Amino acid sequence: MGKNCDEKTCNCKKGVSRRGFFSSVGAGAVVLATTGSFAADSPSKVLEPDSTTPITLLVNGRERRILVEPRWSLLFVLREKFGLTGAKAACERGECGSCTVLIDDIPRYSCLTLAVEAEGLPITTLEGLMKGEELGPVQQAFVEHDAFQCGYCTPGQIMAVEGLLRHTPDPTLDQIRRGVSGNLCRCGAYKNIFAAAQKASELKRGGGAK
Amino acid sequence: MLPNFKYVRPGSVEEAIDHLTSEGARVHAGGTDLLGCLRDNVFGALKVVSINALDDLRGIRQTPDRGVRIGALATITQVENHELINERYKGLAMGASEVASPQLRNQGTIGGNICQKPRCWYYRGEFHCIRKGGNLCYAFGGENQFHCIFGSDKKCCIVHPSDIAPALVAFDARVRVSGHKGDRLVPIEKFYVLPGEDVERETVLEAGEIVTEIILPPIIEGTRSSYRKVRARRSWDFALAGVALALVLKGGKVESGRVVLSGAAPVPWRSHTVEKVIIGQKLDSKTITRAAETAVHNAEPLAKNSYKIPLFKAIIEEELTKIAIG
Amino acid sequence: MKASDKPYYLRGIPVPETPAPGKELHPWKETHVIGKPLSRADAYQRVSGAAIFPSDTLLPDMLYGAILRCPYPNALVKSVDVSQAERLSGVRAVITGSTPGADLKWTYLQGSSTKLFDPHCRFEGETVAAVAAETPYQAWDAVQTISVQYQVLPYTVDERSAIEPGAPKVHQPGNRVGQPEKYQRGGVEKGFSEADVVLEQDYRTECELHTPLELHGCVAKWDGDQLTIWESTQGVYGVQSKVAQVLALPLSKVRVVGHYIGGGFGSKLQPGKYTVIAALLAKAAARPVKLFLSREETFLSCGNRPPSNMRLKAGVKKDGTLTALQFSVTGTGGAYPAGGVSLVDWLIRDLYTCPNVQTEAIDIFTHTGPARPFRAPGHPQGSWALEQMLDALAEKISMDPVELRLKNIPAFSQARDGNPKYTTTGLRECLETGAKTFGWREALQRVRESGRAGHIKRGVGMAACLWVAGGGGPPSTIIIKLFSDGSANLNMGASDIGTGTKTVMAMVLSEELGLDIDRIQIENADTGTTQYATPSGGSKTVPTEAPAVRAAAVHVKQQLLAMAAEDLKTQAANLIIKDGEIVAASDPSKKIKITDVAGLKKRGVLVGVGYRGPNPKNKVTNPFGAQFCEVLVNTRTGEVEVVRFVAAQDSGRVMNRLTYENQVIGGITMGIGLAMTEFRVLDKNETGKLCNKNWHDYKLPTALDVPSDIVSVPVELEDSEANSTGAKGLGEPVTIPTAAAIANAVYNATGIRVTTTPINPVQLSLLLSEAKIKG
Repeated sequence: MGKNCDEKTCNCKKGVSRRGFFSSVGAGAVVLATTGSFAADSPSKVLEPDSTTPITLLVNGRERRILVEPRWSLLFVLREKFGLTGAKAACERGECGSCTVLIDDIPRYSCLTLAVEAEGLPITTLEGLMKGEELGPVQQAFVEHDAFQCGYCTPGQIMAVEGLLRHTPDPTLDQIRRGVSGNLCRCGAYKNIFAAAQKASELKRGGGAK
Repeated sequence: MLPNFKYVRPGSVEEAIDHLTSEGARVHAGGTDLLGCLRDNVFGALKVVSINALDDLRGIRQTPDRGVRIGALATITQVENHELINERYKGLAMGASEVASPQLRNQGTIGGNICQKPRCWYYRGEFHCIRKGGNLCYAFGGENQFHCIFGSDKKCCIVHPSDIAPALVAFDARVRVSGHKGDRLVPIEKFYVLPGEDVERETVLEAGEIVTEIILPPIIEGTRSSYRKVRARRSWDFALAGVALALVLKGGKVESGRVVLSGAAPVPWRSHTVEKVIIGQKLDSKTITRAAETAVHNAEPLAKNSYKIPLFKAIIEEELTKIAIG
Repeated sequence: MKASDKPYYLRGIPVPETPAPGKELHPWKETHVIGKPLSRADAYQRVSGAAIFPSDTLLPDMLYGAILRCPYPNALVKSVDVSQAERLSGVRAVITGSTPGADLKWTYLQGSSTKLFDPHCRFEGETVAAVAAETPYQAWDAVQTISVQYQVLPYTVDERSAIEPGAPKVHQPGNRVGQPEKYQRGGVEKGFSEADVVLEQDYRTECELHTPLELHGCVAKWDGDQLTIWESTQGVYGVQSKVAQVLALPLSKVRVVGHYIGGGFGSKLQPGKYTVIAALLAKAAARPVKLFLSREETFLSCGNRPPSNMRLKAGVKKDGTLTALQFSVTGTGGAYPAGGVSLVDWLIRDLYTCPNVQTEAIDIFTHTGPARPFRAPGHPQGSWALEQMLDALAEKISMDPVELRLKNIPAFSQARDGNPKYTTTGLRECLETGAKTFGWREALQRVRESGRAGHIKRGVGMAACLWVAGGGGPPSTIIIKLFSDGSANLNMGASDIGTGTKTVMAMVLSEELGLDIDRIQIENADTGTTQYATPSGGSKTVPTEAPAVRAAAVHVKQQLLAMAAEDLKTQAANLIIKDGEIVAASDPSKKIKITDVAGLKKRGVLVGVGYRGPNPKNKVTNPFGAQFCEVLVNTRTGEVEVVRFVAAQDSGRVMNRLTYENQVIGGITMGIGLAMTEFRVLDKNETGKLCNKNWHDYKLPTALDVPSDIVSVPVELEDSEANSTGAKGLGEPVTIPTAAAIANAVYNATGIRVTTTPINPVQLSLLLSEAKIKG
């Protein structure tokens, strides 16, 4: 994909996954693609209030059909309907980051995302970073550097770091700090989170893991 | 928790506009501001109209005249990192980089950002304030440390929360507004509404109108730009004071340009007084000091925000000095 | 983990000698597991999503609860109409104060009593009614349709005006919470007359809110008359007793489970009304109910660190001898007695040697949410005043501030009756080690030499502290089960609130029995299955629980050795445990594998019970600390960047270097919040309502507000008296001196003494510009 091409007209869109949209500008910089788009030729979607409508969510590589009310947040559906409690509810107003998931490989607050708005887009939660029962590299690094205390903001921190590293594999300390600056940790383990992110970057690059 | 609403996701701009003309309809782009307002019951919504299927509203590209067109659905992260914007409209990229948090920049759109609702805690809280149809601005006699020093028109003393809009004003961007009667291009400076004109709205958008794109004019040779923001904490915070600069320097002198303040007024506040002082002048320390003094000359601080006077002086001085050095 | 991957200290752990039954345990002379930087025993659970926090609980058929709260700071509830709410789809139960069984008494401190749904709401956010519905959305819909008639009354929310004549009364007798609390030793007037320098200054710390990440709340479920509660709490037994008391249930019928907790910081030491409300809703609907508050509700009703208005007058001689300290504080615990000024004066009384001290603390009622203990209650506030004062005195007598503190190190607790000695006091070592690690003198010199050039000024500052508690004490009961395969179960009532309690306890067991940590299963924080424990807080969990764990482990060992003695036909006193085997000390060829001990095989499990013994008589156990920091100040804008921190803490033995470090980092981060970003804003002029009840308007420090350069230097004094592990509390002292150290550094950089928190550009830009005008 060319550096400044418009996603809509760019040929490189064809035949590649959404991840192919990402381009980078300059060393270490990140360009994140639009957080997905619905096919323009699909008919209008309508969900009536106070009633539920089936939608399909693509969570951790699995298609899951679910009846939702239009107002249900993605966080609510993940936690209370799918039992994926890795994403945590803490403010439900986009101010703390404990609900962070990757949508299209980009960290977003699932509390400020309507479930219906995530339809058809690949969603990754903390559970999706596991390989069976084995921890992913970011999770391992968090263990090693004791990058948490109570552990409640931790899933969100891990997802923020995961999202950062998917686009910036070898971040500077400043990039790391900015990368997790949308995730509050009241226990105050930030310093260890920075160290864990650095370690995770090494693990990912060294281990060839995604 | 969010209240009940109907949700529609139309496939065309025309359809979206149709939906938005109906009573109680609200537009959903990134959703970050809308859902927050609905949770706080700042306003209700009978129908939420998602424009996220409108792929025409995405993307950032160069226009034939070497300006830049930013689709309303471009995310703030995309604006922040776009090469063309970083190369030519640095102040805009800097503004985008100062917005909220990474996740909100990934999700929030530029269209949503320039249309966002004020962050005043009375407006967002359980206070029936004048902007919500009440008859009182609680901030005037209340907790106004984060409120405005210009442009309240003695009616409402919110500050405009955007970090992007001041930069867009500095670059003289235009906003394409689409509605039933067709499109219109509004200079962003004219896009915002002061409390004196209409205290219950922030922009000139009429019912059923949406922002579809933002057009940056071609950059003038010699333009230097920046955005500087001071905040109470270093992430996820709005400006206590901010300044966007886009100045054209030729032969050591400021030939033209704009100085726009954030955190100062209910709208992005163009400081004509500073512009007057610096245009045609060399940016030497004397001019810079005078510009900084002038900036806050007519300010009307409230009981708890007089700190904004020295703060604006400080950042204007700092930023002009940086621009002068290059 | 493969056996070969194990760090050396987990391979064949040598085991300390086993005292004979009845003999007292003394702290280990040498440790092999304790003190090591081991990852947490439950790290996997916490990073994988496997940890089920109370708010993650999902039960079949579960409903969701929501509470209607009073929007006024002072109002009478005249009527509540729930008819519309009851008709809404999905609603399964609605309760108010007039619902049968819901007219319940609720008590605060000092016997102050109110109702679960009190008709007189004395703070914004008081409970009025509650709903259970099929989804949380429907529950909130229903809450909003409840129609309440309020008689809105005048309010007073600012403690500074609440004692003025004519201020609306929170309770009939008036707005003072009892008599002022007074303390005196010596005579301050005499002390001031002996001083070469006397300074007097007002200070204020703003109200801070705990806001742990996990919301306050619980899931409640009835099985007949048996109530089970999964609550986000620092102490399951505290929740059990309060719920049983309010609902008049036998303790045995209330089971409280809290395996994980997403932060508390003192605000979850006690249950809230929400716990009882959840139980009532679950009863009414005959279905389990999940009731977690909204974030906004937690700002209103889950406690705070009260604001403190302080005045301190201090006298010092030229040689640095403190001659007198006179201190007063007013504060508010809110609408009910809740310790509004509790312990604010403790550091003034006890941290430095001073013969003449007088303090007075005045607690005032206001129409605000009741306070709850907040990490080191009172101490950071008192430190903000005292440690800035020490800094100012040092400057006046041209003495290094570290030196001034070293001059006044107390050998005993001056403020306690009988002047007991500390079991250990590391204040001197903390100051000296901290200064050395930080490079204090050099840093001061660098600041002096950097001079006047540029508008970004560098500054350094320091502050010291002690924490009034931190020695722990009884009661605590621990049960350890050693299984026949040599693995063990550790059963403890205490919660691990994120400090690493479980990990530390597993390490104690590992140390004593030579077990690998990964062979230990921990069962904790469940009144149904674990032993009585007091809530985790007050920096007392490790010094309370660890000795009990050790005692239980030794109890297991003693039984095991007795059994092995039979197998080996020798005396138990002759046996030691080494590399998983029991060996006769006199004849190493005489040995048996633990798993081969016949008694163990036969019985299947060996049970050891340990109790926390009493603390030493006539001694006090307190942790001490000193922190040093460096800041950069933009003297035009008032922006402050904290560049680095060094913390030297004396908390006795370091139990786990990794979790120790983490506490220090966390305490400093929280102290940065107090110093620089956090303050509650009440709309005191017009409505008395809370303006900033969310995390955008109430600002916690973010990743960009804290330095990545934080160094912790443990000052590990051997404490043979405190308890059998030699560990003292850590969680609280690490946050006490932080804010004052920052204020002192800002002064060092700018010459401006910021006496009110927070030091942010709002305040500092103005102070800087005023200073410029004054020249």
